[in-house]
Amino acid sequence: MLAGIDYFIVIAYIIGMLLLGLYFKKYVNSSEDYFLGGKSLPFWAIGMSIVVSDIGALDFVGVSGQAYRYGVSVGNFDWVGSVPAMLLAAFIFIPYFWRGGMYTIPEYLGRRYNQKVRTIASVTWILFFALDLGVLFWASAVLLNVLMGWPIWISIISTAGVVGLYTYFGGITAVIMTDVVQFIIMFIGGFALVFLSLYEVGGWDNMVEKISTMGPEYRNHFDIIQPQDTKSPFPWTGILFGLTFVMANAYMIGNQSIVQRCLTAKNEWHAKASMIFGSALKMFIPILVLFPGLMAVVVHPGLLDGDQALPMMIKSILPPGLVGLMFAAFFAGLMSSVDSLLNSTATLFTKDIYEPFIKKGADDKHYLKVGQITTLVLLVVGVATSPISSDFPGIYVAIQTFMSYFQGPIFAILLLGIFWRRTTEWGGLSALVIGIGFAIYLNVFKEQFFTIEDPFLYISWWSFLLSFIINMTVSLLTKKHSDEQLQGLVFSSKILVKNKTV
Amino acid sequence: MKPNEIDAGIKSAQINNALGVFIFIFGVIVLFAMIFTDTFIQHMTDMVAGLLLIAIGGGMIWRSRNIIKKLKANKE
Repeated sequence: MLAGIDYFIVIAYIIGMLLLGLYFKKYVNSSEDYFLGGKSLPFWAIGMSIVVSDIGALDFVGVSGQAYRYGVSVGNFDWVGSVPAMLLAAFIFIPYFWRGGMYTIPEYLGRRYNQKVRTIASVTWILFFALDLGVLFWASAVLLNVLMGWPIWISIISTAGVVGLYTYFGGITAVIMTDVVQFIIMFIGGFALVFLSLYEVGGWDNMVEKISTMGPEYRNHFDIIQPQDTKSPFPWTGILFGLTFVMANAYMIGNQSIVQRCLTAKNEWHAKASMIFGSALKMFIPILVLFPGLMAVVVHPGLLDGDQALPMMIKSILPPGLVGLMFAAFFAGLMSSVDSLLNSTATLFTKDIYEPFIKKGADDKHYLKVGQITTLVLLVVGVATSPISSDFPGIYVAIQTFMSYFQGPIFAILLLGIFWRRTTEWGGLSALVIGIGFAIYLNVFKEQFFTIEDPFLYISWWSFLLSFIINMTVSLLTKKHSDEQLQGLVFSSKILVKNKTV
Repeated sequence: MKPNEIDAGIKSAQINNALGVFIFIFGVIVLFAMIFTDTFIQHMTDMVAGLLLIAIGGGMIWRSRNIIKKLKANKE
């Protein structure tokens, strides 16, 4: 349970975030302000925002839990699973999205393929984000329950209330700027926890020695590369093919909540720089999220649920004041992930579903209102679906499982869409539909195909490969696009050297 | 500088100022929490974390107020 000062810090943080978020209301006058921050934000704020919304609550609790169970190999998600993909996004993909004045990734797919592809991709992301919201709310409830003793439903509803209010009024400017504060708090709180945890276990060498002598199940805890027959969800083949080649790229290039941030940049240079800056910051994340989980093996051996490792470490290691700071940091990560999903889903729904299908040609204020109402509806959906995530053994794996259904197919059509002029609308559509169906099939019958516990990395790889092949095959059999239709949508080496200011 | 660029600069500085105030206040609270710690290492950790937040927040306030002053002078 928290001491008085820690309660005060957490409450002050929550109220402060709310006030800060509401302050940005005055900068929202149009739908472009709400969804793209008026295209006026600097690279450093966007870079911090990308990192903090990505690591969020899931990494703090989930990755620490995975590090407790499986060791350092989970760190691959933030190194090879992020940095190369972010650089690829910065130099190749972001310039096309930014120059095209796009609001969403499905909007690009719609221009490159057809409206059906845009709609399917958008609906898929909306469904994923809605489920993701539930997982995030559940993650908050677990930590609040351990640290503050609040009932789960009370903590879910209070998180939803605070984040919902500032996202509703301030749009993406509030989302990104509160992320900057959250980033600073998270880094300071995270490094303090690592420092004190190292002190508690007697230094790195002492910790390695203790864990290595704890039994055969800890033999591979310090191997960043796991053998193919490992029982952990991170065999090297899955890390290389599923994570590095597919999921990382799909996440950094095809994830609306990440890419939308870059589209708020004041010019193309800032858009690219935000991703590059974010990739540099991302390299520190494993230190913050993985080490506390590892050190919990020594300090709290034998925990039944690995996801309890971080809350237990915070509770037992940190001094008064820093417990509050660290908890605020966790809460910051959670709020950041939630506000990103809310704003991105509102953007997807308004731009890809509402505007083309429900009410075309309305005035800008109308779409602004629709975006805000969608935010409120999503909050309710997220709160209502949060108990689903309690059925999964690890929060982080639950998210990866949801994502593996469609990350591979969407990345396959994005990749071919940019790099292969010959790909056609029917190629893209068939690859997307069959790829998602195949991923669901693999996940339902995973025991028959895979030996590891959670094969989400393999599922994303095989669904990507199938979508890639189908897209190429069907495209070769159908009518190709004209050069005019492809203008500004396919790769040209000029994009690497020229910046454009709008 | 064009008037719209000045306005954008002022907006950006106002945002940074607000962020700075928040971080600064939070740093003061963490620094205050030092009095509740038991050991020297805990004491120092609270102090370093609090001072870091105060430095970052204070720096943001100082820089953004300077920019606002400069841009408003340019505007006039």
